[in-house]
Amino acid sequence: MELKLTNLTKEFKDITAVRNISYTMSTGVYGLLGVNGAGKTTLMRMLCTLLKPSGGSITWNGADIFEMDGEYRKILGYLPQDFGFYPDFTVYDYLMYTASIKGLRPVTAKQRIKILLRQVGMEKTAHKKMKKLSGGMKRRVGIAQAMLGNPQILILDEPTAGLDPSERVRFRNLISELADERLVLLSTHIVSDIEYIAGEILLMKAGEIRAAGTSRELIAEMPEQVWSVAAAKEEIDFYMQAYKVSNIKTTRQGAELRIISSDKPAECAVLEEATLEDLFLDYFGERTGEQNDEI
Amino acid sequence: MKERVSKMTRYEVKKVFAKTSSKIAVMLLLFVMGITCFFALDITYVDENGSTREGLAAVSGLKAAQKEWAGCLDEEKIRKVIAENRRIQNTPEALAQDITQKEIAYSWGQGIKEIRNLLNCAYAKGLREYDYYLADSLTEEDAADFYRNRTRLLREWLEGEAKDQFTDEEKEYLIGQYGRMDTPLYYDYMEGWQQLFKFAPTVVMLTMLILGYLVAGIFSNEFAWRSDAVLFSSFYGRNKAVTSKIKAGFCVVTAVYSAVFTIYTGIVLLYLGTDGWNLPIQSSWISWKCFYNITNLQKYLFIIGGGYVGCLFLSFLSMLVSVKTRSAVPAVMVPVLVIFIPSFIANIGSPFVNKIIGLLPDQLLQAGEALNYFNLYSVGGRITGELPVILILYTILTIVILPVLYQTYRRMQIG
Repeated sequence: MELKLTNLTKEFKDITAVRNISYTMSTGVYGLLGVNGAGKTTLMRMLCTLLKPSGGSITWNGADIFEMDGEYRKILGYLPQDFGFYPDFTVYDYLMYTASIKGLRPVTAKQRIKILLRQVGMEKTAHKKMKKLSGGMKRRVGIAQAMLGNPQILILDEPTAGLDPSERVRFRNLISELADERLVLLSTHIVSDIEYIAGEILLMKAGEIRAAGTSRELIAEMPEQVWSVAAAKEEIDFYMQAYKVSNIKTTRQGAELRIISSDKPAECAVLEEATLEDLFLDYFGERTGEQNDEI
Repeated sequence: MKERVSKMTRYEVKKVFAKTSSKIAVMLLLFVMGITCFFALDITYVDENGSTREGLAAVSGLKAAQKEWAGCLDEEKIRKVIAENRRIQNTPEALAQDITQKEIAYSWGQGIKEIRNLLNCAYAKGLREYDYYLADSLTEEDAADFYRNRTRLLREWLEGEAKDQFTDEEKEYLIGQYGRMDTPLYYDYMEGWQQLFKFAPTVVMLTMLILGYLVAGIFSNEFAWRSDAVLFSSFYGRNKAVTSKIKAGFCVVTAVYSAVFTIYTGIVLLYLGTDGWNLPIQSSWISWKCFYNITNLQKYLFIIGGGYVGCLFLSFLSMLVSVKTRSAVPAVMVPVLVIFIPSFIANIGSPFVNKIIGLLPDQLLQAGEALNYFNLYSVGGRITGELPVILILYTILTIVILPVLYQTYRRMQIG
């Protein structure tokens, strides 16, 4: 089971959204981490055969996925970032229709839907119209549709975007449950999601994979160190401008700053253990946000 | 496999009708259909006291009056009609200024009303002329020329006003078609068919506009709802799911069109009667000049068939536009433009333009009217009227659109 990307490139009119990516994935959970516009969605859409690459190739067990056509899509489950649905369909009808386009026989579809609705906690809302569901419920239906064909490859684009904290935790657990014996690729800009679920993390920036590895490996390879500095109120601005500050905690005397730097920023600075969030900030600087666009 | 495909098609149809706006569109169609049927059934009959009757009483009164004159329209019958018409026009009631008296005189002529109109056409000064009072000036001696006049007026028109519009072969064809009409014609009550013909274009065009709205979103709503990503990343997303959408379009057009015409035909014919179904269309003055030698039933089948082919073609064209533009809005405009633009071009009035207009799909939506046009085309050395040509042409074009629609949609990229 091997999904191989070789020199994968996608160019739009005047931008290169994905640049020369080569990477191989097999069973396990892969987390694609990057800021808005890093090219995560474009990469995922190519992996789902929704977009054709401008260059390079994607192969599944040695076969080009675009040549495999339906045979590749048969083993694929996809939850898009902006998950669309048929507003006037009930949850059950939506899943039955999706099952039919995924090639499931009606009898199998009914059984599978029953199991998945239980798994995502939507049994009682099966006959509710899709347009009447909350954001979290829609996402749960989204994951259920992605899992309908029991796919070997599960691609989840920003699965936790817009969810409240409890829904997000619930969703993370659900993904972990579903990750067994398949390749799961999930993109997010929320570090904690990746930290909890992903075995392998891919840091994507400006269309390229800048680093890849487990959380521990990536942190160990981090070129800079993390320091804790107790600063007076009047010093905060100085540190903010001079260093990458990953956290500011206000105290009675001023603030406790978490600084990413290769040099010791102050005499009183104490070396701290780096986290994935520090790593994210180190790679992507200040560019963090709540929304992911679709380059 | 078949089960899955038909399931997909059923869900595609469900997507169309589950929308609130679609439900409103269907309700609107039914409402306007109701109004159209109301007008189609609006028959009046004036009794011997000059009082106007409506409803079923009017239908039975008119039917009885016209049945009295049913039979072959031979010279003898024409002579009798001319005499009866003159007798009525010379009665004190007809000559009186009082409206009620005039209505009484009118009531006596309701049985021969349609034949009187035929006389106005047959004895007109020219093929394209009509004088409502012409029949009043005829004498019994004129009866012998009734059928001869039809061909004579055609010949005069072809040699005069229309001499440059047709080739010699086309002129021969038209004269031959006129000559092939079975004479004498048979006259009978046929109000049901006449009312059906009269309002059929309204029904077809209205149905087309609603169908255009219903089918425009079959493909493009996937983009609007953002469900395209899941669809195209599915096993059947780029093949059978596309086929099921095309099938759904076909089912929606066929089901709505059939339902509309079953209701329309059923209501009108149940109310007004099916009498006259096998009469030549020339038995009615509206089609007196028509060169197609067909019966009322055959004409109606042409109207239904033409309308169906037109609706199918325009529906699939709308779907193609919706795929190309990824939006239902321009697609909805397709039937509107196809229906209304030709009426602007028609004002140009040149024979060449008429030939082009005769091939436009709006002609299929008003096939009953198209039967009355003298638009001729030479196909494979054979001359024929416009209706058979456009029926075949648009059936072929509809079939041609399908693979284009399929291929265009299945190759969509979702960026």
